[in-house]
Amino acid sequence: MTACDDPGHVVELRDADGAVDSLQIPPGESIVDAAESAGIDLPYGCLYGACGTCTARLLEGRCRHLEPPRALKDDVLEDGYVLACVATPETDCTLRVGHDIQAEAIGTPWR
Amino acid sequence: MSTDQSPSKDEQPTHDHDHEDADGPGYPTPAAMRTESEREKTAYVMALRVGMETDGKDFVGVVDLDPESETYSELIDTVEMPNKGDELHHFGWNACSSSCHAEGLARQYLVVPGQRSSRIHIIDAEDPRDPEIVTVIEPEEVFEYDLSAPHTVHCVPDGKIVISMLGNADGELPGGFLQLDQEDFTIDGRWENDTGEWEGMHYDYWYQPRHDVLVSTEWAAPNTYYPGFDLEDVEAGNYGDSIHIWDWSEKRHEQTLEFGEEGRIPLEVRMSHNPEETQGYVGAGLSSNIIHFYETDDGTWDWDVVIEEKAREHDDWDMPVPSLVTDTLLSLDDQYLFYSNWLHGNLRMYDVSDMGNPRLVDTIWAGGLFGDRQEVQGTNIRGSPQMLQLSRDGRRLYWTTSLFSSWDNQFFPEIAEEGSVMLKADVYPDEGRMELDEEFLVDFGDAPGSPARAHEIRWPGGDCTSDVWR
Repeated sequence: MTACDDPGHVVELRDADGAVDSLQIPPGESIVDAAESAGIDLPYGCLYGACGTCTARLLEGRCRHLEPPRALKDDVLEDGYVLACVATPETDCTLRVGHDIQAEAIGTPWR
Repeated sequence: MSTDQSPSKDEQPTHDHDHEDADGPGYPTPAAMRTESEREKTAYVMALRVGMETDGKDFVGVVDLDPESETYSELIDTVEMPNKGDELHHFGWNACSSSCHAEGLARQYLVVPGQRSSRIHIIDAEDPRDPEIVTVIEPEEVFEYDLSAPHTVHCVPDGKIVISMLGNADGELPGGFLQLDQEDFTIDGRWENDTGEWEGMHYDYWYQPRHDVLVSTEWAAPNTYYPGFDLEDVEAGNYGDSIHIWDWSEKRHEQTLEFGEEGRIPLEVRMSHNPEETQGYVGAGLSSNIIHFYETDDGTWDWDVVIEEKAREHDDWDMPVPSLVTDTLLSLDDQYLFYSNWLHGNLRMYDVSDMGNPRLVDTIWAGGLFGDRQEVQGTNIRGSPQMLQLSRDGRRLYWTTSLFSSWDNQFFPEIAEEGSVMLKADVYPDEGRMELDEEFLVDFGDAPGSPARAHEIRWPGGDCTSDVWR
């Protein structure tokens, strides 16, 4: 199969209420860009992997970051958090998304 | 004189620092601004929806402050940004009292940066009640100068606008200063000529042209503070603990004042409005100290901690909670210092007529982790006192309760669902006290479309944190 024929991967986005959006993401396109094109609201800020507003939790599948995920420390990346603005799926994926995942990933230091 | 605008050219009082023909925007002295302007009738408030439960674009809110108006204490207009994700934060004017020599120049345009997007919006506010976006500088244009994360905006003499930029094009250190042309808002390049030993950690700045000095402060690299507050970053030394003295005319870094433990995360810097003075305060957010800095006889600068906020035990916290001093403000007559303790939930008023020896005169508790008062007009105070703005006459103090989207979501997550609020106190400078005005509440949870976080506040016509005098 050539790159042109590659339809990419199916990504399921689940929010805190359990609502699910599903979209097909072509190879090399970021999850945020694909969601924007599909009219799905995802949180984002800088759009280059520095700010973490778009932090999502990968539940199933595999993603690759197109730019260094500077907003996430190594242990947070190991826990399965990804930056949807610079991440593209490498397999079919399921992600938990929402405004509150950034705070969950970094934790509240004293509480 | 119109309330919302600087004196017109015909009404402009003359002043005597060697240019009787001064004919630019603003006021010849801080006292003129304090006494010759009228009561503020409009506020511009940065309002953002980054990291909110209901997604949306940020906006500049227009709030009615005219007590005679039927819409007093209401959000009466919004200027929505063209894109999502900006995180509007701080903003400034194309011209202020520092341009008093600039004939024909008017305080007309607001420069409104997106902290996360690095996009810079220019808003025409010629009609104070009907502002509109006229120019947008896209992030790619900013990244070309290897800069990102725009913060403090000041107009400077000689036709420029200078913006502190907290990161490079990757959101890492070093940051720098971006310079815009005051007339057409094109990027003019970088301000700084020689960064010396400065490692590029940046946040706020103030300048005193009469003494040829600029003072800058430190937050952290954008990719450190953007994602939220992580104690590991403090331990790793990724947060700032110094302020920097620059030669204003040579645009050269001269001296570092390193505070260490006593001055972690020095944020807003406020120098005396009186252009004769060579001193100021910086609020150290995490250490929760107020630091007085000043020029010494040999021309170098020194500092002392003059106010210390003690951390407090809280049942839900594993360690004592710092007060988190997040904003500071000096009245136009340099007699009172106000500052907010964002985690604890109060704001303080100090008599600073002797700046090295501040004297506490009053405190208002409203919201936060320890505030006795958690409601105004039956509405929960979501967040805690944060960005401050004082009326020019020093008699009304306004504030908002959101700090920064990602930090809000860690410490006051209810703001993400319901928005933050704007509150007010009446200040009695002659008596040295202030009182919460329970009649005043702007609930940004009711913003058209969806709730928003409210941040920095400015008045048309200039305010206590916008203007510099030469």
